[in-house]
Amino acid sequence: MAKLEIQNITLDYGQHPVIKDLSFQLQHSELLGLVGPNGCGKTSIIKSLSRVLSPTSGRILLDGKELTGISRNELARLIGVVPQNPYLPETFTVFEVVILGRNPHLGLLSGESSNDMAIVWQAMERAGITHLAKRRIGELSGGEKQRVTIARVLAQEPQVILLDEPTANLDICHQLDIMDLIKSLCMEKNIAGLIAIHDLNIAAQYCTRIIMLKNGQTHAEGTPREVVTAENIREVFRTNSTVHTHPENNLPVVLLNTSYKRLTVESGDWDKHANTEQ
Amino acid sequence: MKIFRLFVVATVIGLLGLTGCSKASSQQNPSSATYTDDIGRIVQIQGVPQRIISLSPSNTEMVYALGLQDKLVGVTSYDNYPPDVKNKTVVSDYSTTDIEKIVNAKPDLVLADNIHKNDAVPALEKLGITVYTITADNIDMFFNDLKVLGQITGKTKEADNLVSNLKSRIQAVADKTAKLTDPQRPRVLFVTWHDPIWTAGSETMIQYLINQAGGSNIASDLKGYVTITLETAIQRNPQVIIVMSSMGTQYTSLDFIKSNDQFKSTDALKNGQIYEIDADIFGRTTPRIVDGLETLAKLLHPELFK
Amino acid sequence: MNDQNSGRGLLTIPVNKHSESAAHKIAQDLPIYSSRRFLRVISISGLTVACIIITVLALTVGSVEIPFKTVWQILISHLPFVNLHVGWSSTADMIITGIRLPRILMAGAVGIALGTAGATYQGLFRNPLADPYLIGVAQGAALGAVVGFVLPWTFGGSYLIPILAFLGAVAAVSIVYLIARVGKTLPMTTLILAGVAIGSLLMSITAYLTMISANKVHSILSWLMGNFSNSSWDQLKLISPYIAIGLGVIFLYARPLNVMQLDEEQAQQLGINVERTKIILLAAATLITAVAVCFVGTIGFVGIIVPHIVRLIWGPDHRLLLPLSAIAGAILLILADTASRTLMAPSEIPVGVITAFVGAPFFLFLLRRKKKAVF
Repeated sequence: MAKLEIQNITLDYGQHPVIKDLSFQLQHSELLGLVGPNGCGKTSIIKSLSRVLSPTSGRILLDGKELTGISRNELARLIGVVPQNPYLPETFTVFEVVILGRNPHLGLLSGESSNDMAIVWQAMERAGITHLAKRRIGELSGGEKQRVTIARVLAQEPQVILLDEPTANLDICHQLDIMDLIKSLCMEKNIAGLIAIHDLNIAAQYCTRIIMLKNGQTHAEGTPREVVTAENIREVFRTNSTVHTHPENNLPVVLLNTSYKRLTVESGDWDKHANTEQ
Repeated sequence: MKIFRLFVVATVIGLLGLTGCSKASSQQNPSSATYTDDIGRIVQIQGVPQRIISLSPSNTEMVYALGLQDKLVGVTSYDNYPPDVKNKTVVSDYSTTDIEKIVNAKPDLVLADNIHKNDAVPALEKLGITVYTITADNIDMFFNDLKVLGQITGKTKEADNLVSNLKSRIQAVADKTAKLTDPQRPRVLFVTWHDPIWTAGSETMIQYLINQAGGSNIASDLKGYVTITLETAIQRNPQVIIVMSSMGTQYTSLDFIKSNDQFKSTDALKNGQIYEIDADIFGRTTPRIVDGLETLAKLLHPELFK
Repeated sequence: MNDQNSGRGLLTIPVNKHSESAAHKIAQDLPIYSSRRFLRVISISGLTVACIIITVLALTVGSVEIPFKTVWQILISHLPFVNLHVGWSSTADMIITGIRLPRILMAGAVGIALGTAGATYQGLFRNPLADPYLIGVAQGAALGAVVGFVLPWTFGGSYLIPILAFLGAVAAVSIVYLIARVGKTLPMTTLILAGVAIGSLLMSITAYLTMISANKVHSILSWLMGNFSNSSWDQLKLISPYIAIGLGVIFLYARPLNVMQLDEEQAQQLGINVERTKIILLAAATLITAVAVCFVGTIGFVGIIVPHIVRLIWGPDHRLLLPLSAIAGAILLILADTASRTLMAPSEIPVGVITAFVGAPFFLFLLRRKKKAVF
């Protein structure tokens, strides 16, 4: 049975619908990528899966149970969300932020046990931030803060992880680090991962399956090879591109075709060469 | 963990109950009498008070006027009349009452003022102290206050004498001014403060005094103690301006009016009929009010009063 | 039902010993966790003991001289089952137990309320400038009180002003809440803006009423600046249950308040019912503030600065921040009130002036020492 089943959901943002009649499934141990143009509803889908946004129609099932029938606390134990640009309090230490992830496992009156502490430590180890444990959030870089949020989600011990553009503000090295981490979590620990991502190359390299959205509906669904094609890219993103195959793993690689004409750069010759084709 | 927090809260609450509370005990004394004071409180007074505390300068003056100064065990820091008051123990400020000092002086009667209505009066009563509030809005209430105070303190004869004495002095002035017609009554502007100009309208003691002294208050269409705009004051062209002395300030209301260009156009300033009077006499409701009346009458009608 | 063990996520039991001890070591440096409970308990009970000592010391000073030993004897004689030979005057007893003690405890209770409410508001709004008066409590209470001063008739005796002040405070906040609410949600920035707007409106009405009642100006000013000079056991008994209940509710939500320091979405995704938490905490904090303010007037500075001082020393975890703000607030206000009634006896310095004088330099000193961000 699919871990998460989305059946015919319609999502509104304000007054106009963003997602119309969308259905898909999310399984264990897979990393499902959601790609599409800006504003296509990737974030809205993630919000609906964590019950921040309610679909105006359709159902979402988790382990066969309706999402609306699960208590908030229970849901937090099952689903962890790494949002885009999450706010982190400046004066909290990293340790104190990560331990917030244990909240769904604690009763109203109880504090954290040493077991909880150990889990937090292991989460920080996995995210590679144990050396930052006593540092305050305000002192961290963007990449480090991203890892803190991931560690916080790991401390929740979820079975499903939703990530919204986790690599948006990171440099190449950190992007790959994070994606390696996410992928390995899904593979090793049976987690169902859903990632909204705009970078098609990264999606192709890491996701086991990809859904490409257009106008609030599924335009293409399948393996990276099936979905990341020049034709799909032209239809959905209205851009020309060339899709090659990565020499090492046979996965698609998107190369950009710019329409900007190259110039021979000689000062003063701007106008003369502006339309020269090369 | 939560237990310790509960412990803190419990300690706090426990401290409250632990030391208990002292209740004011009321005794029924056969020789007690009941009065209703000027703010409507029912006050029960046992016997004749021997230790009196006054919480306002006007009350202090009344106490002295009835010859009760020997029983006065506490006054405020603002009290200044009669001069003998300097020898009395100060137990309070005028606005903030020092409950501790008052209690320590063991009074059996505290004379309060209207401003103590909401704080000091209930606080003292809760501690079992007898409080009588005096606040007279007009001359009749003031005479009544004197009489009641006389009753309370066993000085009915002195009170009656004082009241009839004051009444006859007022009558002496009124006899000469009652027949004055409107044109004969100088227009009076009474200034209590200058920034903005505060004056006294109808239903105030000041207006009563002005009328009795043979003047006509230019602010009589206003009610109570109110502000009046500079234009209105000047447009009504007062013939006499009476200014209350400002306590402790360098630049007084008198200075302001004298140096103000617009006021120079009024009859009052043209004829030099601008006078400063003692705020202690006119601002307090005490027997000296009648002194003030006589002074005012001389200023307004020097031809009638020598 | 799952046929395979879908795994409890990534960190299945058993957790290894290494992690436990490593985490333990890190936790030592954080006041809330160090030695798990020991230091936390020391902080709270230590501060409580300090508060009690200050209370007793405050009892010994006042405008009337009463020797230390006598004070002690009077106190002890009121304990149950104690029989002490009475060697002091009943006046001294009345001063200690009838005047000073209720006044000091009142200052403590108000300090507790304002300190806790301030910390709660700062946590809810995630704004270091938040204080208990942010959304209209002070302005509503002031207007209620002034209306009571100006009314020509009275009812309820000496409780008229406090009742009207309380009703004014609650009404003001309710109006602000109703304006700011959007459907089922309560956006915090809208709340602040509505609070500022309504607060200004109420203030102008208050100013107008004050101006037209010339003979009451004195009493009104006195109330607005706040003072404890007329505190009594009755008042204390009246406000204590409300403060205790409000405090209990707020402390229950200490950990959820921690989680809410992330943004609202993340808190929701971590299992917190954000809207319900907001409303409950707002209501509780407003209640204790309104109750504290209605008898003694609007005393400033305590609610905004005390939580910052506590945060600078003990960190931002609300499980420590809230109770310590309560006790620190009590200490500050008791000290301030003692100064206000002794420095210029028999006159009194308004207690709000003293709190600023005492608190501001101390806060600046801490700020300079720590040299790091406060919020």
